[in-house]
Amino acid sequence: MERNEIVKNIQGALAEVLMRDFGPLPENTRLFEDLHLDSTAILELLMALEDNIGIEVDPEKLDMGDFRTIGTLTDFLERTPKVNS
Amino acid sequence: MSTRYVRGIKRALTGAPDTPLVLLCNFEAEAQWARGHVGLPAPPANAARPLVAAMEELGVLLAGPDDTLVLSRPLDPGYRDYLADQGLVLPTVLVPENCLPGRSTTENALDSPVLLDQMRRRGAAGARLLPMGTTTHEQELARRCGLTLAVPDATVVERVNSKIYGRRLTEAAGLRPVPGACCETRQELADVLARYQLRLESGQPLVVKDAYGVSGKGLLVLENPTRAAQLLRMVDRRAARTGDDRIHVVVEEWLPKRCDLNYQVTIGRDGRAGLDFVKQALTAQGVHQGHLMPAELSAEQYRQIEHAAGEVAARLYADGYHGMVGVDAIVGADETLYPVLEINARLNMSTYQGGITELCQPPDTVALARHYPVRLAAPLEFAAVRRALDGVCAGRPAARVLVTCFATVNANALVPVGAGGPPEPFDGRLYALLVAPDRDRLADLDRAVRAAVTILSLAEESHD
Repeated sequence: MERNEIVKNIQGALAEVLMRDFGPLPENTRLFEDLHLDSTAILELLMALEDNIGIEVDPEKLDMGDFRTIGTLTDFLERTPKVNS
Repeated sequence: MSTRYVRGIKRALTGAPDTPLVLLCNFEAEAQWARGHVGLPAPPANAARPLVAAMEELGVLLAGPDDTLVLSRPLDPGYRDYLADQGLVLPTVLVPENCLPGRSTTENALDSPVLLDQMRRRGAAGARLLPMGTTTHEQELARRCGLTLAVPDATVVERVNSKIYGRRLTEAAGLRPVPGACCETRQELADVLARYQLRLESGQPLVVKDAYGVSGKGLLVLENPTRAAQLLRMVDRRAARTGDDRIHVVVEEWLPKRCDLNYQVTIGRDGRAGLDFVKQALTAQGVHQGHLMPAELSAEQYRQIEHAAGEVAARLYADGYHGMVGVDAIVGADETLYPVLEINARLNMSTYQGGITELCQPPDTVALARHYPVRLAAPLEFAAVRRALDGVCAGRPAARVLVTCFATVNANALVPVGAGGPPEPFDGRLYALLVAPDRDRLADLDRAVRAAVTILSLAEESHD
């Protein structure tokens, strides 16, 4: 999956979890500070990304630095092996 | 200020209305209690939550002039002057001499010999330690400085604060529970989710809550069977990795509701208990936003709450607990009362409002205790807040606005930002109590305060 596709998937998952259509978001958008994502919503975000990108992530293994911005999350998803692609 | 409310608390917890207290407002004690329990799969917890820790300042409006409040940061001088100008007489504030970022105030206190000595002297003079919720840290602090705890020890308090314990108590007492179940293993969770398959397929959500979750953390809403299956897969992978198939959660139907409620019972050392208040709780995604008081309830709903409060108190006392208990409840969309959604056997947000509502909310008026979000580029002086709020009550008879916590405005500014570059904007909260003659005028006052506080914030960006 191309990077811009991953970014679009993240935007879709964020819209689903936070119940807001943000439109296009730059990669330096901060998930916690700018979008007010909270630790509970991370679990929902991961589930939405599992659906859309075909990954499996164990929350306990996450490095919270990967969730700093849309860009760092995209980097993380590019590194994560796909299970059904 | 030594209010009737705080004197009543002292009488219940210590036997005398004038016993000096040393208060520690250790918000999110649940994080300590949760150790040893397995909750929902979750990312590693953030080490420091400066804004939540700064809420300890709310204790200044609960404690009386003979009491002591331990804070990791001193009261802002401007805020202290403001409170004095409002006619409030404040407690002595002690600050540990060794404070480190990321440590709780109790941990700071344990590492501060000068403070421990000051607390030891208060203990020798008969003061009692009243933490927000006793964990092993506060118990150790009490031991180290010879202060008797005004509430039970950590073992009792941890046990009775589990949501599983609360749900079982509700069922055993014959009170109407929210339909659902407790789970302690992966198999129990799988069985419960299977039972609810049809409900999920029909689009009626479930909520899964950690036994020791707090304020929206450790809470997952399952909207459909796909999400339920995903949760089970995550739990299975964790069990395979750790060899531990425990999961301590409650699963409940997500009910349509008219409102959330919060009521407080104080259970005395002698087992006598009294219902202190019932408030309407304002929440968003399980996160506390504020309280409206009084709550709008029918006489029958109020009677049911009084009955539930008595049952909860009797059973907690029989199980070794005394002290304050905050109970969350809901009124369904069909006006059915579910009198126990959650039992928090500790001080609650609403506990801290009891003294100031006694002083600032005349009979036959309504009040709103809430926080207003701010986004700042640099720490804000209290004088700016004072200027912004100056005049909001003008032309509004019987209206009053009192700032109840200022430390939370700048707490996140203390977080180190990345080396180099300009500091990043940070979020804060301004807590306030608003009083007005009726709900319409309270809503109008709320809008005026929100508009005034918004001026203090950076301009919102388009996505926020």
